[in-house]
Amino acid sequence: MSNGNGKRFLKPGKYLMMGNVAMAEGALSSGLKFFGGYPITPSTEVIEHLAKRLPEVGGCCMQMEDELASINAVMGASLVGAKAMTATSGPGLSLMTETISMAANIEIPFVFCDVQRCGPGTGFVTVPHHNDVGLTRFAGNGEFEVIAFAPMSCQELFDLTITAFNYAETYRCPIFILSDAYLGHIHEVVNIPPKEEILKRVIDRTIPEDTKGAKFTYEDINTHKLMIPKPYIVGTEFCPPLIIHLPHNQDGVLMPEENSLRFMKIMIDKIRDNIDKISLTEEYKLDDAEIIIISYGLPVRASYRAVDLARKKGIKVGIFRLITVWPFPKEKVKKVVVGAKAIIVPEMNYTGVIAEQVERVTDLNIPIIKVPKVATLHHPDDILKAIEEVAK
Amino acid sequence: MNRYEIRIVGYGGQGIITLSKMIAYASGICEELLVTQTEAYGAQARGGRSWAEVVVDLDRESKQIDYPKALKPYDLLVILSDAATKEVKKEVIKKEENTGLLIWDSSTILGKFRAASKMKNLGLPIQKMALEKFGNIVYGNAILFGIFTVVTKIFSEESAIETLKQFVPGSTLEKNMEAFKFGKQKAEEFLTQLKEGMS
Repeated sequence: MSNGNGKRFLKPGKYLMMGNVAMAEGALSSGLKFFGGYPITPSTEVIEHLAKRLPEVGGCCMQMEDELASINAVMGASLVGAKAMTATSGPGLSLMTETISMAANIEIPFVFCDVQRCGPGTGFVTVPHHNDVGLTRFAGNGEFEVIAFAPMSCQELFDLTITAFNYAETYRCPIFILSDAYLGHIHEVVNIPPKEEILKRVIDRTIPEDTKGAKFTYEDINTHKLMIPKPYIVGTEFCPPLIIHLPHNQDGVLMPEENSLRFMKIMIDKIRDNIDKISLTEEYKLDDAEIIIISYGLPVRASYRAVDLARKKGIKVGIFRLITVWPFPKEKVKKVVVGAKAIIVPEMNYTGVIAEQVERVTDLNIPIIKVPKVATLHHPDDILKAIEEVAK
Repeated sequence: MNRYEIRIVGYGGQGIITLSKMIAYASGICEELLVTQTEAYGAQARGGRSWAEVVVDLDRESKQIDYPKALKPYDLLVILSDAATKEVKKEVIKKEENTGLLIWDSSTILGKFRAASKMKNLGLPIQKMALEKFGNIVYGNAILFGIFTVVTKIFSEESAIETLKQFVPGSTLEKNMEAFKFGKQKAEEFLTQLKEGMS
């Protein structure tokens, strides 16, 4: 089989692309070589597109018999050095959590695209609902950190997927892309940059070099600072041929139980210590804002419009957008909300998963107003109404 | 930001979603304007009520379209089925002189369509004309696309033709081009009448 790398990148230019396809193309640009999945509405276009495209780049798209087999195939592919991913929706995610937890333990890099639909259970299959936001944070038994992206346009689905793959290589924890039934099916113009530009952004999977026999060490041998070693590539010279899915020491082999705390520290602190580098946020008209909207994903776009309309009426309101939802940037949020008159959190779910996180880090005297929406998008007027209410 | 709001409603199989993608392609790729297309997603593809929406930002300075769905009142509303007439009320269409238009298919809307008379509207037996003139109702899409090109002026005729070439199978291009020109001609007649009516 030819390596087909010539077809990895689309010709640079503008394309009218569906969200799910833009995400798949972002993955291919990152060097995706394996997709394991089981089709589920509303994520099906991802596997459809990759079934056609992956063979063109010398990769493999494998439709497995179910979700559990899919995620295990993804882990296997990643362990032998392929950039790998899966895409599913809520019911698939809940089936896959067992392996996600195991992957977090072994620190296997992979990207997980969750095209969210309305739950619980089977729910309404074709409508959007950001109801997996909480599940992604706690996807599996045990303690581990995850990183989750919340794109809001087709261009971002392309760009942030590249970032997601880079994070997977760097931080070796479960990486989620939180899309939804609506975003996955929007068509927008996606600007594909030249391949040289994309390659500058991509972190490749490379065989770890042997640094005095301490190839997988978590401690810099000179400074003793915590660091994250490169991912294993099973079958290469220095990689242990047997990967133990139990807490491991710095060489990737089983460690004594009494060192569990140290292992936990490695697993959790690799994300928490780097939160400033990992967490991506965006601010809109926040400088003089008295009312602050905190949101992520598609509701941010309705919020832009609501803020512009409110500003015309003289209301000082701005947006703090979470591009990465997890890890929750609590220090940044703490700073942003100082002195706020009120905080509005529009979310496409009923309970307000992120609103609860905001509550956790905000003074009790600042009111937090949830604007829930289920199975449909926020209309800008929904958010404008909430702004006007608190501005009274 | 200068949003142009388009909504097309009918039933599955009429080519509503294809038409919306053609509008998005001509505006977004050929004219390099910001554009967002959204569509009914579900069993509608196999029949039943279907819809698609396109938002085009006519302001070239804009960086992004904020809200991705079309907002009421619309600049252009296309109604292609009886059931869809229910959503036509005078407040859902803009009343400005240069925009706000209802296009409807008088060969698929059989009942009385009183709401249409309360606004600027163009009613044509699009499916019937497609069948009689070009032999298949699928050419209704190209007729509509021709009408669309003339009445909205968002994209040029060249852009529209380039889009047609992208979307229709090569063997049917010639007939589609004829249907497109026919639609354009009908729209031009309509605009002339409108002008005369106003003066």
